[in-house]
Amino acid sequence: MKMNNANSFILKRILIISLAFCITQFFSNISYTVEPDEILQNQEYELRARNISRNIRCMICQNQSIDESNASLAKDLRILIRNKIKEGSNDKEIYKFLTDRYGDFILLKPPFNLNTLGLWFLPFIFLILGIYIVFYHNKKSG
Amino acid sequence: MKKKLLILPSIFFFIILSIFFYLLIIERNPSELPSNLLNKNVPIFETESLFKNEKFISSQEFKNEIILVNFFATWCKPCRDEHVYIKRFSNKKGIKVIGINYKDNSKKTIKWLKNLGNPYSDVLIDKNGRVAIDWGVYGIPETFIVNSKGIIKYRHVGPITNEIYKKINLIINENE
Amino acid sequence: MTTYLGNFLLSLSLFFAISQFFVSKKNKFKFITITVNGLLISSLLSFGLLMYSHIISDFSILNVFQNSHTTKPLFYKISGVWGNHEGSMLLWILVLTIFNYFIFKLYNKNNSIFIAKTLEIQAFITTGFILFTILTSNPFQRMFPEQANGLGFNPILQDPALAIHPPLLYIGYVGFSAAFSISVATLTLNNNEKVPWYNYMKPFVLAAWTFLTIGIALGAVWAYYELGWGGWWFWDPVENASFMPWLLGTALLHSLIIVEKRKSLQAWVLLLAILAFLLSVIGTFLVRSGILTSVHTFALDPSRGIYILAFTALLGGYSLVLFGKKSKKYFNTNYFALFSREGSILINNILMVIICATVFLGTIYPLLIEAFTNNKISVGEPYFNSTAVPIMLPAILVMGVGPILAWNREEKSKIFKKILPSVLLTGIMSGLIFSIYQSYNFIGIAGIILAFWIISNNIIILFKQKKNYSSGMLVAHLGIGLLILGITGSSIWQEEKITRLQINTSAQINKYNIIFKEINEAKGPNYVALKGNFTVYDEKKNIITKLEPENRYYPITNSFTTEASIHTNLARDLYIVLGDGNLSEGWVVKIYYNPLVIWIWIGALIIFIGGIISISNNLKKIKILS
Repeated sequence: MKMNNANSFILKRILIISLAFCITQFFSNISYTVEPDEILQNQEYELRARNISRNIRCMICQNQSIDESNASLAKDLRILIRNKIKEGSNDKEIYKFLTDRYGDFILLKPPFNLNTLGLWFLPFIFLILGIYIVFYHNKKSG
Repeated sequence: MKKKLLILPSIFFFIILSIFFYLLIIERNPSELPSNLLNKNVPIFETESLFKNEKFISSQEFKNEIILVNFFATWCKPCRDEHVYIKRFSNKKGIKVIGINYKDNSKKTIKWLKNLGNPYSDVLIDKNGRVAIDWGVYGIPETFIVNSKGIIKYRHVGPITNEIYKKINLIINENE
Repeated sequence: MTTYLGNFLLSLSLFFAISQFFVSKKNKFKFITITVNGLLISSLLSFGLLMYSHIISDFSILNVFQNSHTTKPLFYKISGVWGNHEGSMLLWILVLTIFNYFIFKLYNKNNSIFIAKTLEIQAFITTGFILFTILTSNPFQRMFPEQANGLGFNPILQDPALAIHPPLLYIGYVGFSAAFSISVATLTLNNNEKVPWYNYMKPFVLAAWTFLTIGIALGAVWAYYELGWGGWWFWDPVENASFMPWLLGTALLHSLIIVEKRKSLQAWVLLLAILAFLLSVIGTFLVRSGILTSVHTFALDPSRGIYILAFTALLGGYSLVLFGKKSKKYFNTNYFALFSREGSILINNILMVIICATVFLGTIYPLLIEAFTNNKISVGEPYFNSTAVPIMLPAILVMGVGPILAWNREEKSKIFKKILPSVLLTGIMSGLIFSIYQSYNFIGIAGIILAFWIISNNIIILFKQKKNYSSGMLVAHLGIGLLILGITGSSIWQEEKITRLQINTSAQINKYNIIFKEINEAKGPNYVALKGNFTVYDEKKNIITKLEPENRYYPITNSFTTEASIHTNLARDLYIVLGDGNLSEGWVVKIYYNPLVIWIWIGALIIFIGGIISISNNLKKIKILS
């Protein structure tokens, strides 16, 4: 049975609507990274928001930041950060707000405290050791 | 090159391997996060209640008895699975069970609770998820135990299983 | 029937591996021949059997049931054999037995004790892997009751790059195992035969490094094209687990040259060969033990972790203690000048090790914190960008000038003359590109200039005196220059546009105008999809291309994927992802303008070609040896 053009157009639209419906039902709890509606008008604020978001871990993803993630919690946090920026909080206060609730785990750049001394200092020590070896070698060859 | 230095690589190696070994044999879940709110005060929040007319104000409610707080939603399948345990807790004497309905439709929730039974003495509405963020929630269901002084003593992420049920009972008993 | 045959073949491999260990100890050539060949054939047959079962969809085998489905395209049925933990162990074993065979092929009456010792150690390693597979990861388990169809397979993993990425990586790791065995054999035997062990190590290190490079690159290609995140490296623990052996492998490759030419740094190379393989095994541990979660980890199982840890402890403990005791005689006091070709290789080695140590630190630090405190922290991309990445800059700088320095000692007066042409060429190329793209990012500017520094130096050498230089090295170094150009360009000059579009509206990015023409449904072999049709126009209103991103639904696994649509040319990628939306409000669309991305993949391919050239040149030399 051949369909005429009008019918096939309607059928096509129905198929698209239903497919979009099915997919968005799943995606109703998932958003696609930074959404256009989230973007702040003030460019400086928006840049701050993006920079902070890139440093905040998406808690339910594998090694992604909330800036990149699809997850609904990521979106909530992105909006929360933008609201706090608009309210006048500085970056430090925003980070504190998040770590008070989620711990240091939520920071992709590890904090600098007693526990992480080794993490931040050892690369320097490696570098110094390397330079020492270079000079030691130079002395011996000269 | 001093000979003693040459044994250094093997020493580092054994230290690192022992740490890996230790991590393997202790009981840990690599994807579960310890709550940052443990042994701290309950977050301050206000929200609407599903069944009661008055608002829920946290500073008034969390000071009298042990409270079990359960974040749940109708669209969350594991929440349905653990519901039987929440009901058991509601029957337990000496504790109050409060539900926080996360990003849900109130009508659906009322229906869901009607079908499965309502174990909560109060159901709070968290429409946009801000209350959950204040509690450091990252994946529902999540269950918290708050003692009678308003201090959070325990948090479990994910549905309550038989083992977790027993563990929570122990914690409740410790805090009485 | 298949399960019995499969288990029998595995046990047969185990038998041959253990036998090879004992007959190599006694250096009995005839028996060694039997065990080496037996190992190869039995492992080939067992791997073939598993592959056959996947191809015919024999769901009586648990492994096939868990990981396959009748609707999977044939290519992915085949690659699905190693896309799961148990099957991948069988692939590890196969590659081990193949390299075992290559080591055996080197055997002659002059080096028999040495090669036999190497085969003994290699047999121990192979036994360890086969035993692990039989005890904890047997792919030939029976599925009861047999189902009509399988559990399908993760659709994100149905991608050509990802399909061939594991075998290439395993060639890398197994190649390092051969280098490990040669190193341990050298240390054990006190080299009384005066065998040039470094000549034997080189082909294996070359092969390992070359294939590890392309394996890692393909993983990155997959991430970029498939995941829809616009990125290709995330400093994920498992990515780091492949990167660390690569770094040590690079160091090893270069310092082997010094050992060959100057007999210097021998003890250091022996240690590096041990560490490169140990890191490969520790990487295996991290992925399969359940000690951490990552996109890459296979099913988590602590018992596997304990076995691998014990095996690693044995291998590492024995080899490192042996090194501690026996390496003294390999030290010599032949100090070349720092300002020389060897000196630049030494600096490269030091920097590679520093980067490796930093990456290792960042990767295991969360585990350390967890062990000693009750806390969990994350060490993500920002950490590695601040610590490991800056150290790469001096390494690239030295890499440009190193090959043109003289052996033993370069005269400082001559150096200006030597580098002047390439400095000029670098200046010209950098000037050209900065006139098109601007940047205010220090590391970005440094990266671009350094990339051109490498490219200029290699172009000039190619023009001038090709005969004095290894062509493999020239090609590989050129590849690295292009790789760095692509990496730096795509990260500092990327543009992004996120917007909501209705049908027949458009978005502007860079000089392109992108019109959302229509949205359709699409169908694939095992999915249905919503597909957006976008037409891209340049500033002169010419059509550049049509982009068709999809959102797919795979009913068998009940999962969703986003398929980015990418238009590539030598200058840039246009990358578009379709978001969520509906006909009335329109759809969320994310567009990336990524300059120079293709040079990352071209660079990696050229590095691979350079490696292959070096391997083939080296094999000609090896023929003379044996």
